Amino acid sequence: MEKIKSNLIEAIKGTYPDAREQDHEGNRLDFYVKKQCVPSILNYIKGEGYIHLSHIAFVDWIEEGEFELIYIVWSPKDKIKIFIRARVDRENPLMPNIESIWRQANTYQREAREMYGIQFEGFEAPNEFVLEDWNEIPPMRRDFDTQAYAEETFFHRPGREDAMDVREAIIERSREEIPDFAKKYSR
Amino acid sequence: MIHIEGHEGGKGDSGLRPRVDNGRCCWCALCVEVCPTGSLSLTKEYNFVSDDPNDFLWIPGVDNPEGKDKLSFTSGTDTSLNDFKRIPMPEMEGMERVKSFAEVVLGYNEEMAREEASRCISCGLCTEVCPEHMHIPEYINAIATGNDADALRIIYDNNPLPEMCGKVCTRRCEDVCAIATRGDSVAIRWLKRYATETAATSDLVYDIVNPEIRPANGKTVGIIGAGPSGLTAAYYLALRGYDVNIYEANAKAGGMTMYGIPKYRFPLDSLDKQIEYIEKIGVKINYNTKVGKDISFDKIYKENDAVFMGVGFPKAWTLGIDGEDAQGSMQAVNYLHMINAGEEVEIGDKVAVIGGGNVAIDAARVSARMGADVTILYRRRVEDMPADWEEIEGAEDEGINIVPQAIPIKVHKDKNGKVESVEYLMAEMVADDKGGRPKPVAIEGSNKILKVTAVMGAIGQQGDYSFLEDYSEKIKEERGRFVVNDMQQTTDPKVFAGGDAVNRTADAISAIADGFRAVKGIEEFLLGVK
Repeated sequence: MEKIKSNLIEAIKGTYPDAREQDHEGNRLDFYVKKQCVPSILNYIKGEGYIHLSHIAFVDWIEEGEFELIYIVWSPKDKIKIFIRARVDRENPLMPNIESIWRQANTYQREAREMYGIQFEGFEAPNEFVLEDWNEIPPMRRDFDTQAYAEETFFHRPGREDAMDVREAIIERSREEIPDFAKKYSR
Repeated sequence: MIHIEGHEGGKGDSGLRPRVDNGRCCWCALCVEVCPTGSLSLTKEYNFVSDDPNDFLWIPGVDNPEGKDKLSFTSGTDTSLNDFKRIPMPEMEGMERVKSFAEVVLGYNEEMAREEASRCISCGLCTEVCPEHMHIPEYINAIATGNDADALRIIYDNNPLPEMCGKVCTRRCEDVCAIATRGDSVAIRWLKRYATETAATSDLVYDIVNPEIRPANGKTVGIIGAGPSGLTAAYYLALRGYDVNIYEANAKAGGMTMYGIPKYRFPLDSLDKQIEYIEKIGVKINYNTKVGKDISFDKIYKENDAVFMGVGFPKAWTLGIDGEDAQGSMQAVNYLHMINAGEEVEIGDKVAVIGGGNVAIDAARVSARMGADVTILYRRRVEDMPADWEEIEGAEDEGINIVPQAIPIKVHKDKNGKVESVEYLMAEMVADDKGGRPKPVAIEGSNKILKVTAVMGAIGQQGDYSFLEDYSEKIKEERGRFVVNDMQQTTDPKVFAGGDAVNRTADAISAIADGFRAVKGIEEFLLGVK
């Protein structure tokens, strides 16, 4: 397996000198690549036997102002999974469309568009995916306050609004007096 | 989390239990992954139909739906989102330690502290068992997020001797840590130590804590004894505008933490820093002023609006065996006092320490540092020793020999009246019928002789209240301790007391808690503030 991995690293870095690899124990190999290289690298490894697109995962790196897309691809022959990782600007999240390489990418890209607001070049699909009449910011973005939204939108079922906090229960029982400035650290 | 009728919880138990709404569960299993005790699991049995939404509500451990024998996802310490491994504390090597009184524990650096602090899950079980109810999750969170100054301010909110606690506290908090159910407890004591050491001098402590000192309110409080309870009462009274005078018999403040704890555990400059800071906010300490000798209790009582006594247990119990008056036979607590005061004590090269508490271990480890070959004789088993396990391990690392189930019966003297040997009997442990801990019973004829140059008894201390003179009628004591109410007020309403002479736990943090409570008591007594 190490031999296959090192051949892959050599081949990909030969064509894409900017790509940076990160080897993991076992059957996993990661590449950090530029977003514009994503379609051609995926196309290349698909030709090498990595025929199965298992998943596209998304991460909101809000502190760094970027989204990350992780294309997880599997080779039934090599029994290795490759993670192709690319970052895109959070303010203008436009990614290449890989629908022509894997048809099922359509579903993942719809999910990314609805949940994170990531757009794909020339992507055509119905606007709504699983949400209905959504007027807020995309809900999987980390600046979306799920709890506040739920409190505003839904009713509590009677008898279920009693979620108690362990820390508060103990403060009350032992009559601990926490100074105001320290309270923000209680959670 | 909800409260269940009839289940009030207690120390180490919040009394709350999780309740699951299975009808809305999406099988994400996050509850399984975050549960520190591993009490929750998913089942494969998820077929359930009902018209009533309330049928889907259940409490693990109380309601017992089917499927408990068909588990799917369960919690493991390797997959859990909790981190069960403590960041190890750097320490000096065992045989290197005995060469000097240098501090054994080296302290966390910033990176270690942040990492260790991030293991805390903020449940707060620890705060309830802390006698002083320190705000532990809050200061640990402040450390985890890189706000050391806030951590220090939170710590000083109710503990004016935190660096001492950070080094030598008995830390009952760590016993109940939720993470410790399946792993190492969060190193609460070491994190406090880290926070206090970020302020290297008393000036820095002052700058960071930036205490609010109220204008003088014209009331005076006299405090007897500058130990942890007296210093705590003094500090918070001074902050509240009281004029505070402490009368201390010794040349230095700190009480047992100064004279009882060896310097390799609690270095002098660390104590000095904290005392300087307390003096800086206006507490006056009269050193070398023994009440009952240099000043009378009557004078302190009459000149102040209230009195606080943190007088401790200065007198050691004697062993009560033959030959104890020999030259070279001494009390461990007195030995520690003399060494800590910088005096020379002749102990020779072979020392026997009798007892199994922290004082015994301290005296043994100090003697080892003085170059002696040390044996500890303890009447019960090693696992029964009341001393901290870390101290016992430390002693073993330093080459100290522990002989358990050994009952000393006689100290033999040579013709000059000097200690020559100690004779002891081996004991067998006999179960106590009443359910108490097993009792050591001496085995007839198992006499052994250990050649020694010094014997130290460390079987406990008691109070000495002769300084009270005529007031001993009014200020009641019971079985050697002052009688106080929940505000630390004695039977004389003007007199408050705390520390070893009051509580039974005999540790610094309980003394600090007494001092802190007394401040509220005195405030209520003098100003009617609740």
